[in-house]
Amino acid sequence: MLSGIDYFIVIAYIVGMLLLGLYFKKFVNSSEDYFLGGKSLPFWAIGMSIVVSDIGALDFVGVSGQAYRYGISVGNFDWVGSVPAMLLAAFIFIPYFWRGGMYTIPEYLGRRYNQKVRTIASVTWILFFALDLGVLFWASAVLLNVLMGWPIWISIISTAGVVGLYTYFGGITAVIMTDVVQFFIMFIGGFALVFLSLYEVGGWDNMVDKIATMGPEYRNHFDIIQPQDTKSPFPWTGILFGLTFVMANAYMIGNQSIVQRCLTAKNEWHAKASMIFGSALKMFIPILVLFPGLMAVVVHPGLADGDQALPLMIKSILPPGLVGLMFAAFFAGLMSSVDSLLNSTATLFTKDIYEPFIKKGADDKHYLKVGQITTLVLLIIGVATSPISSDFPGIYVAIQTFMSYFQGPIFSILLLGIFWKRTTEWGGLSALVIGIGFAIYLNVFKEQFFTIEDPFLYISWWSFLLGVIINVSVSLLTKKHTAEQLQGLVFSSKILVKNKKL
Amino acid sequence: MKTNEINAGLKAAQINNALGFFILAFGVIILFAMFYTDTFIEHMTDMVAGLLLISIGGGMMWKAKRTIKKLKAEKAS
Repeated sequence: MLSGIDYFIVIAYIVGMLLLGLYFKKFVNSSEDYFLGGKSLPFWAIGMSIVVSDIGALDFVGVSGQAYRYGISVGNFDWVGSVPAMLLAAFIFIPYFWRGGMYTIPEYLGRRYNQKVRTIASVTWILFFALDLGVLFWASAVLLNVLMGWPIWISIISTAGVVGLYTYFGGITAVIMTDVVQFFIMFIGGFALVFLSLYEVGGWDNMVDKIATMGPEYRNHFDIIQPQDTKSPFPWTGILFGLTFVMANAYMIGNQSIVQRCLTAKNEWHAKASMIFGSALKMFIPILVLFPGLMAVVVHPGLADGDQALPLMIKSILPPGLVGLMFAAFFAGLMSSVDSLLNSTATLFTKDIYEPFIKKGADDKHYLKVGQITTLVLLIIGVATSPISSDFPGIYVAIQTFMSYFQGPIFSILLLGIFWKRTTEWGGLSALVIGIGFAIYLNVFKEQFFTIEDPFLYISWWSFLLGVIINVSVSLLTKKHTAEQLQGLVFSSKILVKNKKL
Repeated sequence: MKTNEINAGLKAAQINNALGFFILAFGVIILFAMFYTDTFIEHMTDMVAGLLLISIGGGMMWKAKRTIKKLKAEKAS
């Protein structure tokens, strides 16, 4: 349980977030304001928001825990696993989405391939986001229950109430701007923890020396590249092919909640700059989340559960005030993930399902209302399904595995869609369906194909590769698109230098 | 400057003002929390973190207020 001042800080943070989020209601007058912030936001706010929503509280605890168990190789997820993909997104993909005036990534797929591809991609993302929502609500409730001693249902309803209210009224502007506050709190609290942890272990060199003498299992703790036969889930082959080539790109280029943020930028320059600025900030994330896990090896050796490393470090190292600040940052990470999911799912449903299939050509106020009602319905679904997480403790891992099913195939059709004019609607559709099916097959029979326990990186890579092969083969056998159909949808070197509407 | 641009600038400045106030208030609370610490290093960490938040929040508010004043004058003229 927290001390008085820390308790006060967490409560002040939650109430403050609610008031701040509600303040943004006055900027929402149309569906474009609600889903794209009126295309008026600056790059620095979007860049900070991308980083904060990417690193939720579960990742905070999980990455520190993995650093405790496997060492610094987990930092690959934020370095090679993010930065190159963010730069590729900034210079190649974002300009197409931005100039095309798009709201969602499936909307691009619909224009490039056909409506079926758009709907399958959109439904897959909606399903994933909706499932994730319940897990995040449960995680928030457990955090509040442990810290503040609130009963679990009170914790779920208060989290849903705060996040739901500001997302319902303020739309993506509230989501991004509350992320900015969360960013400052997370960075200042995180750096204070790193500084005090270093002080506690007697400096970096001292920590390295101590860990080196702790036994053979710590021999590779400071190797960023792990051998292929490593027992950790991060062999270099998986990091290079699965993470760097596929999952990182699929996440930064094909994830609605990330790309939608860039589309809120006031102009194309700001849209690109937001990703570049975000990539620069992302390089600091391993310092904040990985180093405390490493230092916990010295301060709290022999923990049975590595995920306890970060909470223990916060409790034992940080002074009063900053303990509250860091737990507020934890809660902020969860709130940020929940608000992103709510707004992105509402956008996907309204733009890709409701508008084309249920009510075409309605006025803008109608779609704004639909977006808000969808947010409310999702909130209720999230609250109602959150106890499922307590019955199935592995559900978070299961949902992340589910993500690896479709990341590879979706990225394969996005990549070929932009870079290869010859790819056709049937090529895209078959690659998406067969690719997802193949990823599910590999996951079900993973013991027969892989030696490591959790081969999600390899599954992404092989399903991506099959997606490319299927797309190329089927496209060559089917009718190609005309030049007019491809206008503004495929790569041209002019995209790098000219800022014009497509 | 066109009216649309002035309105967009005003919106951004109002948002920054609200964000700045929130961050500044949080900085004051963290600065106050240093009275609850035991050691010198904890004292200093709370002080530095609090002052950092205060300067970020204060800076954002100061810049936002200047922009609002300037844009309102342009809108009136």
